[in-house]
Amino acid sequence: MQQMSWLTQLGLLLIGAALVQNILLTRFIALCSFFGISNSMKTSVGMSLAVIFVMVMASSATWIFYYAVLKPLGVGEFLYIPAFILVIAGLVQFVEMYLRKYVPTLYRAMGIYLPLITTNCAVLAAATESVKPGFFKMNMPYNFSFVQAVVYTLGVALGYGFALLCFTALRERLDVAPTLRSLKGAPMSFIAAGLLSLGYIGLGSLFGL
Amino acid sequence: MDWALIVKAGLALAGIGILIAVLLSTAARKFHVDVDERVEQILGVLPGANCGACGNPSCFGAAEAMAAERIPVTSCVAGGQDVASGVAHVLGQDTPSVETVVSVRHCGGGTNASRSFAYSGATSCNVVAKLSGGDLKCPAGCFGYGDCVKACPFDAMSLDERNLPVIDLAKCTGCGICIAECPRSGSGLLELVTDEGAVVVRCSSHDRPKERKAYCSMCCIACKKCEKACPADAIHVIDLNAVVDFAKCTACGQCVAVCPQSCIDITGRLALASAASIDGCGSKVEGFVPLETKEPVAAGVRDDAS
Repeated sequence: MQQMSWLTQLGLLLIGAALVQNILLTRFIALCSFFGISNSMKTSVGMSLAVIFVMVMASSATWIFYYAVLKPLGVGEFLYIPAFILVIAGLVQFVEMYLRKYVPTLYRAMGIYLPLITTNCAVLAAATESVKPGFFKMNMPYNFSFVQAVVYTLGVALGYGFALLCFTALRERLDVAPTLRSLKGAPMSFIAAGLLSLGYIGLGSLFGL
Repeated sequence: MDWALIVKAGLALAGIGILIAVLLSTAARKFHVDVDERVEQILGVLPGANCGACGNPSCFGAAEAMAAERIPVTSCVAGGQDVASGVAHVLGQDTPSVETVVSVRHCGGGTNASRSFAYSGATSCNVVAKLSGGDLKCPAGCFGYGDCVKACPFDAMSLDERNLPVIDLAKCTGCGICIAECPRSGSGLLELVTDEGAVVVRCSSHDRPKERKAYCSMCCIACKKCEKACPADAIHVIDLNAVVDFAKCTACGQCVAVCPQSCIDITGRLALASAASIDGCGSKVEGFVPLETKEPVAAGVRDDAS
């Protein structure tokens, strides 16, 4: 591997996490929310914002927690999932209370999605991969530093938001399009998601990564 | 078995749990927000259909806005007088008076109107409207595929035997969702009028009467008989279509009696005090004229037209 400056490395990490290994359309994580809320642009924007916010926050908290508590105790190898769930749930609850008191506008903009994504699989996946980037196969160092973990999570969250908004726009258009009666609704949504996912394969060879 | 590891793991999880519990209970006290309990009370009064006619995304949003007095208590279009009074009671304000509106249909065509092609696709007005302007020859009439019926959150509309949407005025709240759904809203097929409005003109076309009669047997022919018959000067033919001024209308029914096309109907909650037979000719089999017989229906055959 040729030597890259740290900035290039972070940039590639961001793009790789957002587009090449898109969490929704390439890896099929968090598809429940992808189909559940993509019927209106308004809810999608709220959800995307909340996911970006919570994911970055949760994964920075779990990274610190993993390296400060779990690893020194020697229990990190098998205890990280229950511990992360606890930390993320507690953190989201705390932030929700804080926002409600001091930033009510943001609280209202994110609405119900803030508490809902506490147990979203994408959030846990990003948090886990920040400390164990196992199946994220890029020419990157195995252990993320804190900055790398944050940038990686930001990339995942941006990729989630981008794919969700694309898909929502498609579905809103499909709702008024004269589709076949038998395909109207859910079947058409799944076909559209499949085609969109097909498009993301093309991004797999982006910059020869 | 490594007991030390088990103890460590247990302690770690218990420690996190206790730490988060302490943090959250402190935060809950520190960040406590007083919730206006009037919001819940107002929410109990509101219809809960989340129709959005007031401009708020949900009934909860409307309740919050009403409690904060950002919008007046009369904002709930669907609720009308009862809800406005209820909300005013919760907020300790004087009871306001609300003018209720209901939706009316300005078309009596349906199966009486001729079609330019046989359409057999998806039964949706919005779909057929995109196929070279739709199968209906009349550029203003009702397609009759019932998009408004499907959209109505209050179950107030139904298609009758002539494929025209009949509005049950007992259930219609005037939220206007049917109008937003209708592809013919531009020409005023469905319209919100005061529920005290007593008559409705079942035609919204502005074509020349000769053209109009060629594609529909139920249309207004702009003959001005209603205009002459009206003792209150409340109905006028404007742009080749009869228009009623509800401020002047006395619900005498003269225009309904003289209309040679039977295209004016009795409607409205006051005129139809019996609230059971509702949407005038649209719901009456007697008003039905097959396409082949272009004979106008004699006035008075409808039992609600007298």
